[in-house]
Amino acid sequence: MTTEHNPQIFSDATKAKGEAIIELTDVDKFFGDFQALADINMNVGLQEVIVVIGPSGSGKSTLIRCINRLEKHDRGRIVVDGIELSDDIKNIQEIRRETGMVFQSFNLFPHLTVIDNITLAPRQVRHESKKDAEDNAMALLERVGIPEQARKFPGQLSGGQQQRVAIARSLAMKPKVMLFDEPTSALDPEMIKEVLDVMIELAEGGMTMIVVTHEMGFARAVADRVVFMADGYIVEVGTPEHFFTNPQEERTKLFLSQIL
Amino acid sequence: MTTTAPAPPQQTPVDWVRKNLFKNWWSGLISVILVPLIGYMAYRSLRFFFVTGQWDAVRVNLKLFMKGTFPNMQIWRLIAQMMIFALAFGIGVGTNSAASQDRAEDAGLGYERGSILQTLARMWSLVAFISLLLFFATTDDVGNFINPFLVVGGALVMAAIGYQAHRFPRRIRNVGWLLTATFLVIGFQVVSGFDAGGWVPLAIIFGGVAYGAVPVERFDSAWLRFALRLIAIAVVVLIVQAVYRAVDSPGIGWDKWSGLHLTLMVSAIAIVLAFPLGLLLALARRSTLPALRIMATVYIEVIRGVPLITLLFMGQFILGFLLPGGTVLSAITRAIAVMTLFSAAYIAEIVRGGLQALDKGQNEAGQALGMAPPPIMRRIILPQALTAVIPAMVGQFISLFKDSSLLSIIAILEFLGVRKIIHAQADFRSVAFAETLIFVAIGYWAFAFAMSRESQRLERRLRVTR
Repeated sequence: MTTEHNPQIFSDATKAKGEAIIELTDVDKFFGDFQALADINMNVGLQEVIVVIGPSGSGKSTLIRCINRLEKHDRGRIVVDGIELSDDIKNIQEIRRETGMVFQSFNLFPHLTVIDNITLAPRQVRHESKKDAEDNAMALLERVGIPEQARKFPGQLSGGQQQRVAIARSLAMKPKVMLFDEPTSALDPEMIKEVLDVMIELAEGGMTMIVVTHEMGFARAVADRVVFMADGYIVEVGTPEHFFTNPQEERTKLFLSQIL
Repeated sequence: MTTTAPAPPQQTPVDWVRKNLFKNWWSGLISVILVPLIGYMAYRSLRFFFVTGQWDAVRVNLKLFMKGTFPNMQIWRLIAQMMIFALAFGIGVGTNSAASQDRAEDAGLGYERGSILQTLARMWSLVAFISLLLFFATTDDVGNFINPFLVVGGALVMAAIGYQAHRFPRRIRNVGWLLTATFLVIGFQVVSGFDAGGWVPLAIIFGGVAYGAVPVERFDSAWLRFALRLIAIAVVVLIVQAVYRAVDSPGIGWDKWSGLHLTLMVSAIAIVLAFPLGLLLALARRSTLPALRIMATVYIEVIRGVPLITLLFMGQFILGFLLPGGTVLSAITRAIAVMTLFSAAYIAEIVRGGLQALDKGQNEAGQALGMAPPPIMRRIILPQALTAVIPAMVGQFISLFKDSSLLSIIAILEFLGVRKIIHAQADFRSVAFAETLIFVAIGYWAFAFAMSRESQRLERRLRVTR
């Protein structure tokens, strides 16, 4: 069932843009008896923006959480920037340093000020000096549009501001890839745009991104490829035009008819 | 309050009585029975406190309650200790309030720095207890008049001097904490002595400072950073050690301490030692290494299943057999060891509760940033988990403080145990038991209540910025 299920993956329309920076080969993942990921094959090219969509429980979040080993995959190979994910903690940390992640619930550190949130990892992991780390953090806050909030605590900020801090915090580690796990799902509607704007700017700046989202407007605007998942399988892959105008699979059509 | 809300009606005392005591027939009945009963008990109590009570038993033995059998000629050490502790307390309060003010101003929040008077008002139970002591001291005889006031006044002056640490400029703010810790150790050792072996606490403090102060960030090699830190710590430790070896002036060991002084010191030492031990036990219990996890779990469950008094007796009678031959520990050392080991098990469970309550997204965020488990624990998880369990933790500290009274059962003359000496005196052989007990109770309450209030404030303050 698996191979005929997703015939499009290696077709010309879905080829990676630059050289592959993330390669997933035959990846399976189980939670107990439940198969969360089934036979995932996917390459992500340098500077490519991939949007992953699908109904809830389809394995979208699990997919990107496997890429930085927040979840351990059970079968198959995951290679990030030439490093294969294994049980070796050194490898895992190496990969995590190359991949930033933004969570649905922000996961800012509530006991630290905004600037301390951003400088913590660069100082702890990259051993940057306090001054360098803070200069860089201020530049990033400038970029996400909230430099004036640097000395506040996360609890004092709006949801949209918190998510922008979370993006800045990830960027401070100078990652090669950014993973977004439903970054706007926990936000009030009026704050979604400010976060998406930051993400669009990031994409235009050439960042490699994998974004799990329900924001179809975002997918249409910046995605190089859209990946549709259901029941742990990649059902269909294609460019946004292909995807929204001429979907091939029944599951895709059904899903799109439900949300559009 | 909204403008439409009616002004609260004027309530006369008669209204109050009608509303609260005679709302319906059965509440009226209860009031008719209880009010005279309570009134009579209040009358009896007040009569006891002010008329019939033989408070001489406390008044005459005030010094005994405070210092017990501590050698009279060495009392200057206790007074010096009070002065130094008061100084450390002042520095701590000053540094903390200045740091809080900085943080609040950075975050754009209003902050009004409290005065030392406000701090004293918050600790009113202690102020009341000390006033009681002064009252007893001054009604005893004129010869004692000057000293207690000088001591208390001196302590206030020292605290006020210490409070000036809030004037430290911001970039040397942390020096305030260093001074607080240093003076606490020195204050302790003014009594226990600055002998050659006493270098450990200061070495830990200054070693910790050296670890943090070495500018190793610019070096990429983990080994080089480690080596530089090791060298810095070694240098500091050697210096501290050399100073202590040069001074080498023995004091009065804790096997000669007693009274309230011993109670406070034993509690403080056990708290200071039990906290890190409990923390390690909590982490061990959550460890992925089965051996570590099982050992910690067994330890915690065994200790929590045995009464403290049993452990104290075991400490006195069995600990000696377990130690290598020839090791002789004083009764107080063994008691402190038992209290530390006992409290650590409870603290471990409290910390574990805090760790479990924390959202796992915090750990994931740290992992996703490429941080290693130890810094995630140190910088992200523990600060939040420990803040969350402050009330339970202070509750445990208060229990430990009160449980130190059990030492009187194993023949250690702490605050409660001093009564044995008093009631062996000819004047109080079989009288005034109640008076001395009540006095001891007030003393325990004063400290326990101050701790409880302080923990509530700490909790509020740490939550303000969330």
